[in-house]
This record gives sequence, C-alpha cells and structure tokens, in this order.
Amino acid sequence: MASGVSGYAAISTRVRAMYSDLLTPQDMVRLSEAPDFASLISALKSTPYGKYISGLKDNELTPRRVILQIKNRLADSFSSVIQQAPEQTRPLVKQLYRYFEVGNLKAVLRSIQTVSSWNPEVTTWDRVREILFPFGSFNSIPAQAMVESGNVGTAVDLLKGTSYESTMSFAMKRFSAEQNLFPLEVALDLDYWRRLWAEARRLSGKDREMAVKIIGSLLDMNNLMWVIRYKIYHKLSEEELINYTLPFGFRVRDEDVRAIAAGSDIASVVSRIYPDVADVSALLENPQSGLPKLEHQLKLQVVKQCVAAFVGDPFHIGIPLAYLLLSDFEIQDLIVLIEAKSSNMADEAYRPLLLKTSLV
Amino acid sequence: MFFPKEMTEVELIIPSKDIVAIAKVLSGHGVFHQVDSTYLGLESLSSNTWQDKAANYSALERRIQSIMQTLGVIEEYPTKADAESMVELDAITPAVNRIDEEVKGISEQLSTAKKRLELFESQLRQLEPIADVKVEVGALNNSSYLHSILGLIPASNINRLKTSIGRVPHVFFTLREDSQKPVVWVLGPKSNADVLDRAAKSAYLNPLSLPEEFAGTPAEITNTLKREIEATKKKIVELETSILTVADRNKTELQKLLWDAHVSRVMADAIVRFGQLRHTYVVVGWVPTANLENLKTKLKNASKEVLIETTPTTRSGHNDNVPVALTDNKWLRPFKDLLTTYGRPSYGEFDPTILLALSFPLLYGAMFGDIGQGLVMMLGGFLAHNRIALKGLQSIGLLFVYCGISVTFFGFMYGSIFGFEGHYVHDYLGFDLHPVWLSPIHGENILSVLRVAIDVGIIILFLSYLLSFFNNIRVKDWSHLLFGHTGVVAFLFFVCFLSLLGGFLGSTPIAPQVALTISQLPLPFNILTPVFAFGLMFNGLFRNIAEGHKPYIEGGIAMFLVQSFMDLFEGVISMLSNTLSFVRVGAFAVAHGGLSLAIFALAGEEADLGFWITIALGNLFIIGFEGLIVYIQTMRLHYYEILGKFFHGGGMRFEPLKLKPTQEEA
Repeated sequence: MASGVSGYAAISTRVRAMYSDLLTPQDMVRLSEAPDFASLISALKSTPYGKYISGLKDNELTPRRVILQIKNRLADSFSSVIQQAPEQTRPLVKQLYRYFEVGNLKAVLRSIQTVSSWNPEVTTWDRVREILFPFGSFNSIPAQAMVESGNVGTAVDLLKGTSYESTMSFAMKRFSAEQNLFPLEVALDLDYWRRLWAEARRLSGKDREMAVKIIGSLLDMNNLMWVIRYKIYHKLSEEELINYTLPFGFRVRDEDVRAIAAGSDIASVVSRIYPDVADVSALLENPQSGLPKLEHQLKLQVVKQCVAAFVGDPFHIGIPLAYLLLSDFEIQDLIVLIEAKSSNMADEAYRPLLLKTSLV
Repeated sequence: MFFPKEMTEVELIIPSKDIVAIAKVLSGHGVFHQVDSTYLGLESLSSNTWQDKAANYSALERRIQSIMQTLGVIEEYPTKADAESMVELDAITPAVNRIDEEVKGISEQLSTAKKRLELFESQLRQLEPIADVKVEVGALNNSSYLHSILGLIPASNINRLKTSIGRVPHVFFTLREDSQKPVVWVLGPKSNADVLDRAAKSAYLNPLSLPEEFAGTPAEITNTLKREIEATKKKIVELETSILTVADRNKTELQKLLWDAHVSRVMADAIVRFGQLRHTYVVVGWVPTANLENLKTKLKNASKEVLIETTPTTRSGHNDNVPVALTDNKWLRPFKDLLTTYGRPSYGEFDPTILLALSFPLLYGAMFGDIGQGLVMMLGGFLAHNRIALKGLQSIGLLFVYCGISVTFFGFMYGSIFGFEGHYVHDYLGFDLHPVWLSPIHGENILSVLRVAIDVGIIILFLSYLLSFFNNIRVKDWSHLLFGHTGVVAFLFFVCFLSLLGGFLGSTPIAPQVALTISQLPLPFNILTPVFAFGLMFNGLFRNIAEGHKPYIEGGIAMFLVQSFMDLFEGVISMLSNTLSFVRVGAFAVAHGGLSLAIFALAGEEADLGFWITIALGNLFIIGFEGLIVYIQTMRLHYYEILGKFFHGGGMRFEPLKLKPTQEEA
C-alpha cells in the first residue's frame, strides 16, 4: 500500500499544478467587472474554463448550458484525483465526489414531483439533464429511467442494487405517507455525510488528521446550517432536530447542536464555536438575508482550512481534498456570477456572496 | 427477382348493396393493399355508420381475447375457416356475455384470494423479526399508560434516536441486531407519546403494521397467519381448477367467436376506408400485377356491377406512394430480413437481396474458413431452421447453413479443419489436408491475404458504384448520376485515388493489385486527379445547376470554398477508409488461425482426453464467439461500405388486407 512520500509524490505534484490553475481573487474581480453575460463569457474563455465553453455555438451559450460545461472541469479534477490518489484514500475521495450524485438524485426526484408545471413541448428528461452534474462513468443512478418513470415510488425502485437502496427504502414509507420529498432528501444527506465521515475516520496517521480537519470543517458548516434552518424555517421540535443532524464534526460538537435544538441562543453558540465570525446576532435578526451571509462566513472558514492544507508537509490526502473543495467553491462563485450577469443583477447584490473576492 | 414485384393501381366503383361481398374478396386473398379513399367520398353524407361498427367489432374482439387470456386459451384461428363473412354483432354478443359472466365470477374470486395471500405473506414477513418475543402485541397497543413503538430502523440512526428521546423517560430495546435493519422497541409514558412519535418518525423508524384482527403474541399470530395462508392457497388451487374446467368447456366456442369477430372487424375496417358516394362506394388500392387477373375475376363474381379501373405503374420517376412487395422466396428470406433491417427498396430501385445472398456468405466464409467448424455451423443451422434444436435461432437457421457452406469452402481453401492445419492434421487426425489456396496464418501469406482482401473490397466497391449508376439511370436522376456522392465524378475520382494509392504503395507486398493495375494504365492521372477532385469538391454546386436551380452559396465565397475543400477532404478520407475497411476480411482470416493456435497452446501436445476436451471446447468457443464477431463485421461491411453506396431504401411496405396474419407478423 503506497503512502507517504512514495504514495503522494505524483499526486502532490499534479494537484499543485492544478491548484496553480485555479482563478486568483484578482481574476474573479476582473470577471465580476464584466458588464454583461456576453462579456463575462468572453472573459471566461481566456481562463482555464475556456476549453470547456469554447465548443459551444453562439445559440448554446445560455447560462444553464455554460454552468453545465464549467462543471465538467470539476468532474475532470475529481477523475484525475481519484485515479492518482493512494489506494487507501480512494474510497474517501469517491465518497466526497458522491456529493454531486446525491445532488443529481435530489434533482431527479424534484423533477418528478414538479413535472406537471413544465412546458410540455420539452421532454422532462431534456430539462433535467441540463441541470445534472456531469458525473460521467462514476454515475450509479439510472437518472433518465427514473425521470421517465414519472413516479417517485417507481423511480426509487430503480435504485435497487445501488448504495442508496437501503436508505431510500426506509425513507419511502414516510414519503408515501406525507407525499413530501423532505424526508427523502434529509435521509440522503445524513447517509451521505455519515459515510463520508466514516471513510475519513478509516484512514490513519496524517491522512486521517487532515481528512478529519477538512471534511469535518465542511460537515460543521452543513450541520450548523441544517439545525439553524430547520429550527427557524421548519420550526422542528428538539427530537426532530437531533435526528436530522449529525453528532460529529471538526469544531461543531454534538452538544452544540443539541444546545441549539433545546432552545439555547443560536448566536451565542455560533460565536462560541467561531469566535472570528463577527455580528452573528445581527445576521440572525433577519434570517432571510442573514442566513446566506452566515453560510458565506462559514464557507470562508472551510476555505481557510483548505488553503492552510497547502502549507507544510505535502504528503497527505489533505492537499487533494483541499484542492477539490476549492475548485468546487470556485465554480460556485462562477455560477453566482453567471446567474447575476444573465439576470442583470446589481453588483452590490451578488458581490458579497463571492468567496474568492472576500479573500482579497 | 431483381426488383420489387410489379404493382398495378386499382380503383373500384361498387354499388352500396355489394360492399360486404367486395370487402370479403379484397380481405380474403391477401393481395390488395388498400389506400384510404374516404377523401374521395362526399362530405355531405351522414356520418359513417361503418366506423361505429368497426369500433364495436374491435371492442368485441378485444373482449374475447381478454377472456381467452384469463382462461389460458391460446388464440388460434381455424386452419380452414367455415365462415369468412361478416357476422352480425347480435349473433355473437350473447354468447360472449354468457362466457364472460361465468369467467368474471371465478376470476374476481381468484384475484381477491391472491391479494389476500399477498397481504398475509407480507404480514408474516414483518412478524419474523419478533417471532421469539413473548409479548402480547395487541395488549401493548391498547395499553392505558404506555406508548409503544415497534419497528425497523436504519442501524446508523439508533444512537441518534436514543439521544433525541433522552429528555423523556423511556425504555429502549433492540430486539434483533442487524447491520442493516435492526428491530427496535421503544416504550414510554402515554403522556410523552407525541415526543416519542416525532422522534421515531424523524429517525426513520418504520413501525411494523401488524394485523389488527389477530390477537396474541407474535408466535401465536404467526401460526394463525400460516393457517390462513394454507387455506387461501387451497382456495386458489380450487379456483384455478374451476377456470381450467370453464376453459375446456368453452375453448372451441371461444375460438370460433374470436374468428367471427376478427373477420368482421377486418372487413368493417376495410369498409371504413372506402369512399362513400351517393349510391356507390369508391375503393383504391394496389395489387401485384401477377395477381390482378385472378382478383378481377373474383370481384366480378362477387358483384356483377362493380367497375374496375387499373393503372399500371412505371418504375421510373417518383413513385414513393407505391407499396413495395419483395419477392417472397423462402430460400432468400434470411437475406431479405437482413436487407429490410437496413431499409426497404423503393419501387423503382434495384432489390439487392440476391447480391446479399452472394456477398454475405462469401465475406463471412473468407473471415472464418474452416471445414469442421463450417460443417458444424451447417448442421446447427439445419437443426435450427427445421426447429429440431436451437429453436430460438429458427429465423437465422438458413443463414447459418449458407454461411456454413461458405466457411467449409474456405476451409478447403485455407487447409483448416477444426483448427488443425498443416502437419497437425496428419499427426492428430491421421490424414493429409493441404490448402487449395494458402494458409492465412503462415509467414508471408498474412500480407497476401490482407492484399487480396483489399482487392476484393475494391471490386465490390466498383460494383456498388455501378449499381448506384444503374439506380440513378432507372429513375432518371441525372444530377445525382453525375454529381451524387456515389456518382460518375466521385467514381472517376475514386479510380484516380486508387492510381495514386497503387503508385504510393508500389511494389510493397500490401499493394492491392487492382490499384497497381490502374496506376499502370496509360492515362494522364496527374491531370485527371485534380480535374475530378475539383468536380468532387463542388459536386453540390454542380448538382444544383444540373437540377436547374440557382446556385446557392451559403455564408459567402470564402466560407463556401473552405466548406468545399472540407467536403473534398472528407471524400478522400472516406474513400481511403472504405477501401481499407475490407482489410478486416483478411485480418479476421488471420485472427481465426491465431485463435486456433491459442487453443492448441492450451491443449498441450499429448493427444490425451484433456487435449481432445480442450480442442472440442475451444472449437465451440470459436464458433460461438468468433462466429458472432464475424457476423457483426460482415453485417457492418454490407451496411456501411456496400449498401450505403447505392441503396436508398425508404420504400413503403406492402400490407395487403388479410384475415389471418402471416407467421412472420404473428
């Protein structure tokens, strides 16, 4: 089993090369200064994303299509890392990648629920395929067959033999009774993060230390946002909040989640965990606008953790994981830009949401 | 044989009183392809009552089929029908109603019993995990002070569930440990029922839905359920026996009723498409010319006053509306099927079935030459064709026979029997076998085989170009004849291209002889090549001019020139790939020898039992695996390299009115 210097020599060099290809904060500022969508695309063509969108004809340069194309870069990064990662760390990277498959699965289920409101001239599958992450050969869900089944129950039956079968079989009972996708989506999320955490904990030495730090930071953000959103928006009870969250993470402890579930002041709990996040109380006063900002702050914490992974000993899984998360955040920024420019949104409305420019 | 059957257009004017008799003749002989002529009728006439009749007959036919399906009676039409005329609905409906009533009663009981059985079995499955729990389930559910939840939960949620109910008094039991679906039991005070329920629900604890009508411990309920299941199964058997009895009693009558309804429906459907005039009907359709006189006689016998007008059809010009009936020769059927999979010839087009019948086995055998394997293939094909064995392959049995003959022939040419070649034949089989031509696997023969394959390919491509000319001349499509992608200009450029290829490969062993011969012809290829390249480059433009259209240059001159150059480039690439595509014929002949050698390497040298078993299994593997691959390659050569050159297809299928579907359609 290759590990340490021998295992990471190749992947570390490769990832560092790819890391240097990520957009700089200055690049992102330049892109955000594009006056409209067409100028943004033209500016994007001179970045490493250029090769992913240059193949599109003029009439295909729609925001949705461009977003799909640039996601291909992340898919390529994952494939590359999975292929080169030391054998013992591959299950973790693959599970991290499954995040996008879980997203695809949710999109498929939502499309089945909402299909009746769509334009009948475009087939449902044609609509859905445009928003799915280009998962390629790693895909394990029969997305097209599921969409075409037109029924959530039948679609879930098609997941037989996949890693989602067991989770979905439990959650389907609730869906059948409530006709609401919420229990299915929560079950998928919990299962995904449990598996990811288990894979991180399965590693040893420096790999485990870095994986727990990076994956744990990501999990912290999700867990905290879940409990806050479920409490504020869904008004769930204490026992439901506990069951819909996870008892592990890097900085967020089970006691913190339980404290929020039991009714403690959310702002003081968050400030205790993240002392450098300022004005949490102010953000929570108006959840509608404050929660996205809080999430942005928590994402910055993850970004900082990822950037820190590139300092010091380079022979561990932390560097590939950090690179993949930074790539994902970068694409999230680009999606914000594309959507903002295509809908002529005012600069002040979207610029605070860009992660990369917040680092300048 | 070389063209679809000659067709004649027929128009009939029928007095109203004779429409049923005429419909009977038209649908009873399987030679009349009806064309919808309702548009020829008078719109002002009242709505067509035949439409209602046809719908009623169709519904009745479906109803009878459904009854027969429920009873398990096979749908069979009589071999020699007593009645081939329309039967009034009232004459058959009462009998259908009577049988339907009888069947419905039993089938509903059967369906209910099956559902009941399914429910019991599902409840039994749910009880299995708690079969050994000695608690009265009903008593727990009806407890005044305790709230109880018993069910399955994802193993990963157990700890979280325990945490979530930590603030209320409770008792938690894991009744069955399981890595996936453990069974748990949560008990708490009734006053905290809402908390417990919310916690259970959010932890995805699925409560067991136990039958309310059964009381006692899980073990007692299990026993009761098992008794109920046995009783229900017995009832199902009894009902199925009753169904069989009803089926036996009514089988003949149902088949007769189905036939009557079917015949009436087919005729009514035909009449619906007649054009209705004031006192007459007009019918239009197509008949193979060979069957015309016979049909006319029968029509005259059915109605003295019918007017028959016939219009012979020429094969030239546009005749897309003419249905295409291919010659029905049972010996050529496998090749007809191969062709129609690709496309159906149009009426004026050359029917390449006979060409396929020659080239398909030839190319197949050349890739697979082996006497023994060819004979086995022939035998397999014969058994499949005659439904003695391999019944699933009946439709391609005859193709196996033809390919087997060709494989055997090439086996003699290559001197190979069951993979044994050269001295191995003498050493292991005890007789001598010398290749009539050469053994593809040995030494320089490899290059010779590849070269000959390309030569054969070039000759086949020449033939394909000539057939394309022939088709274009027949339909008088002069623009495509000259400037089509397989027109004269393209052909002449192909000849020039071969001269270049011949010159380039020179005296190398792979140089195809045809190309060499062409390159040595006393023709100024250095002048002709650019001339025909120019023609090929602008063939679209020339074709437009030849068709009398104004030349259309899309996107400006510069773009047009770039596009034309790319067309020429693509043309050269496709000529090269088309020609080299036939290398595969030689390559597979060599690979076949190689595969046999691999089997021998596995078998060893000692001719013991193991050796012969390995050889036998190896041969079976080669016949199955390589046989399939060679089949796909042969089909690919025909579909892409040969038919694509001259065959357009798109002919309309000849679908005559008939009472019984043919075996093929059935």
